[in-house]
Amino acid sequence: MDRRNFLRLSGAGLGTALVWPGRALYAGAEQQGLAILYDASLCVGCRACQMNCKNWNKLPAESTDPLKIYESPRNLSARTWTLIQLRKQISEKQSQRRFWNKQCMHCTEAACVVVCPTGAMYKHKLGFTAYDESKCNGCGYCTQACPFGVPHMRTMNMLTGKAKAARCTFCQDRVPLGRKTACVDACPVAALIMGERLELIQEGKKRIKALQETGFKKANLYGELEAGGLHRLSVLVDEPAAYALVSGIQVPPLINFWQRIVHPAGKLAMGVTVLGIVIAWFIIRRNIKMEEVE
Amino acid sequence: MNGQPKESGYVQIRWIPKYTFIERFLHWVHTASFIPLVATGLVLYLPSLQPLAQGEAGIWMRLVHRLAAVLFIAEPLLYGIVQPLRLWLNMKEFGVDRDDLGWIKNAFGYYVLGKHADMPPQGRYNTGEKMNGIVMIVSWALFVVTGLIMWFGKGIVSAELFRWMVVLHDVTMIAAVCMFLVHLYLAVAHPLMWAALVSMRFGVTSASYAAEHHAKWYYGPKRARELYEAQKKHG
Repeated sequence: MDRRNFLRLSGAGLGTALVWPGRALYAGAEQQGLAILYDASLCVGCRACQMNCKNWNKLPAESTDPLKIYESPRNLSARTWTLIQLRKQISEKQSQRRFWNKQCMHCTEAACVVVCPTGAMYKHKLGFTAYDESKCNGCGYCTQACPFGVPHMRTMNMLTGKAKAARCTFCQDRVPLGRKTACVDACPVAALIMGERLELIQEGKKRIKALQETGFKKANLYGELEAGGLHRLSVLVDEPAAYALVSGIQVPPLINFWQRIVHPAGKLAMGVTVLGIVIAWFIIRRNIKMEEVE
Repeated sequence: MNGQPKESGYVQIRWIPKYTFIERFLHWVHTASFIPLVATGLVLYLPSLQPLAQGEAGIWMRLVHRLAAVLFIAEPLLYGIVQPLRLWLNMKEFGVDRDDLGWIKNAFGYYVLGKHADMPPQGRYNTGEKMNGIVMIVSWALFVVTGLIMWFGKGIVSAELFRWMVVLHDVTMIAAVCMFLVHLYLAVAHPLMWAALVSMRFGVTSASYAAEHHAKWYYGPKRARELYEAQKKHG
């Protein structure tokens, strides 16, 4: 291949790669679909959900921190996808202890899906956020983008960066077959139920009303609007902050800026540069006679 | 050689030294690390290359990116260790004066249209080369800082800082790639710039090319200015 053909070919190749349609940011993300409703007023903290999650997903046990009597382990990890946490609020007047089931929130506008460069994190047509481990290359962007800190890396090698992400998949190997998720299946007090999201929102609001009438004035439904609408809704007996949750949390603004502004602007800049060079080359070749160049 | 009679059919070229062996060697080490870095980085950036980012292929891309990064980080440091004086002398060439403004005014006509405009005399590096050099130095520092934090800081630094590093790494890449494309075009394809590639291969440049393109370096600033004024007066 001579130089002229090489330049033409590489210019055409780069141009095609640049104008190739990118995926729309929140394509396929629906507020409808399946969801889980966690009712903190019913949860007795038995951790059956946690156990059955580990059981079904074949996740190994983790060592317990002896200083933390109830929370074991302390946080979600690549090996723990559902965790019962104890939220303590201790003041002079009273001390409150509340259970909280921590797992993936299955956001409609999922930051992990938006930043995943491989398509390993994706929105399932049934509404939840699914995960294809075979596609994951271990970049770890999802772990740094999730506003809830859910995905974790199974880091195998710090130096080479070889790793795989891991998180709750809404039991993607059970739910499409018509079964319930392992956590919902195991809950003995129906604090976790599964169903159509829009129906669960109505059910949740009914429960909030009942709670408020019985004296839990701050009871509220978490997840109706957060991150485009969560597919893991929560009936809380206190304000979200009591559960270490942020009301109205969305995809981090920098993530949207990066994907919506920086990415297309960069492609445009590189495309314009390539185009400009090609045009400049044709002009200069016409105007310069090589015999006259010293 | 100068002073000898010209034989018909031959072009007499007097070669003068421009780059040391170490400089040329490290330039190509830099090239050999930058191109794989861009190639393996773009698979995360361009949706059309997504299959290369997935699974085992993606793990390889990330490994190659890290290996190339080691070369990329080491190369300028090696230069500073092996030839610190040369590095210092080169850095001193990066001053800015009114001739840089004149260069920018005339650059489009000269480099794109091929017109013999009144290009003010240039030093060892012309304004464009200085701009390329500054983008390279700044982007090297940004690449290294943001890259090392992403490599070794994941889970240690805050997610907020990590996200800024990712975005900054991307912005730096965009600027560096645009600059690199122009650099590559001028070095490889532009008919007037043939001497650049020769000097990066063999370390020498032609005296007539240096006199025309780098007069302040070839004649010294004072003589170059006199010649330029005289040329402007007589057209």
